[in-house]
Amino acid sequence: MQMITDILGPAADYHDALHRLDHRHAVDVLRLPRADLARRRLRAISEGGREIALALPREVQLYDGAVLAIDEDSALVVRVETERWLRLAARNGAVALKLGYFCGNLHWRVRFEGEELLVALEQEDRLYHDRLAPMIAAGEVMVLPDRESQPA
Amino acid sequence: MNVSPPITRKGPGAARIGIGGPVGSGKTALIEALIPVFKARGIEIAVVTNDLVTKEDARRLQAGGLIDPDRVLAVEAGACPHTVIREDPTLNIAAADDLEAAFPGLDLIIIESGGDNLASTFSLDLVDWWMFVIDVAQGDDIPRKRGPGIVQSDLLVINKLDLAPHVFVDAAAILAEARQIRGDAPVIGCRARGATVEGIDQIADTIARELLFQDIPA
Ligand SMILES: Nc1nc2c(ncn2[C@@H]2O[C@H](COP(=O)(O)OP(=O)(O)OP(=O)(O)O)[C@@H](O)[C@H]2O)c(=O)[nH]1
Ligand SMILES: [Mg+2]
Repeated sequence: MQMITDILGPAADYHDALHRLDHRHAVDVLRLPRADLARRRLRAISEGGREIALALPREVQLYDGAVLAIDEDSALVVRVETERWLRLAARNGAVALKLGYFCGNLHWRVRFEGEELLVALEQEDRLYHDRLAPMIAAGEVMVLPDRESQPA
Repeated sequence: MNVSPPITRKGPGAARIGIGGPVGSGKTALIEALIPVFKARGIEIAVVTNDLVTKEDARRLQAGGLIDPDRVLAVEAGACPHTVIREDPTLNIAAADDLEAAFPGLDLIIIESGGDNLASTFSLDLVDWWMFVIDVAQGDDIPRKRGPGIVQSDLLVINKLDLAPHVFVDAAAILAEARQIRGDAPVIGCRARGATVEGIDQIADTIARELLFQDIPA
């Protein structure tokens, strides 16, 4: 088990070294769901099969591209799993207010894209659809096709 | 290569775990059962309790003789219990920081939420990992009702297995259903109080493995 107790810095700071290691397929990735970025301690397996124990100081926060280890022979970098979003539109302004209030009450993580509201799918899809069903059935809220958008 | 030396920091400190769950499900009883197990394993712990407007649970632990009373701090939520573990956990963070400063050798700080509903969750700014404790006497349909506590917790504990026959609940069935709903996430059946306890070692093992990185098979 490899113990990690700090983040060395963003991948951009190690660009050249990571580039060289990558050529030798020596950059290992710790892929995490976005929700896990908030954790300071966790046990996980890297894509290269290494067992990782992460115990970060409380003031440190994980992020996509965080370099956890690097030397002449290998590196370990955090990558965040691709997120899925539910794209919604509201029939009018009044419904939009209601929808925003509703999502906030449920602690859903959202993003705004112009007239559309995106809800991060962090639990079973069914849970989101069940909750929205009355507003969808009433024609107040429309589920739009996912446009493969990856909000930054 | 532009490698700046890592900034020297204090180090990770003690692991912090949360225990949430409905009123009276056995959160404090579970802490009381875990304390001797951790002690026997040489794991140094401290506890933060949350009550609405009293320090009842802290007093109970302090008077129990299981733990040095100075290692127990109380936070009074003053409002819905989830506000101080999720929306604004600063009071609890301060309490945990105080314990860590007073007892630098701590391995684990346990934060008990006040009894709340099935929607309560912990902020990961406050804890590294959290478990949700329900009990069989609250109805065998509780796992089915889901709720963020049931679904999102790192460990679901179903307590008071001894009461199952008295409240017309099939313990094996409620555990099986909870496991099915949670997929890969763990569920442990438990009895925190009584002539014999059950599941406590397994809960301690899970914490020691996931948070303290001890080499215990899953
Ligand atoms: N039969 C039985 N009773 C239990 C068990 N665990 C706890 N109890 C009882 O359940 C009651 C509530 O236990 P607590 O530990 O105070 O519950 P809690 O979740 O901390 O309660 P709050 O902090 O008030 O939400 C007490 O009377 C305990 O003795 C158990 O495994 N079996
Ligand atoms: Mg209690």
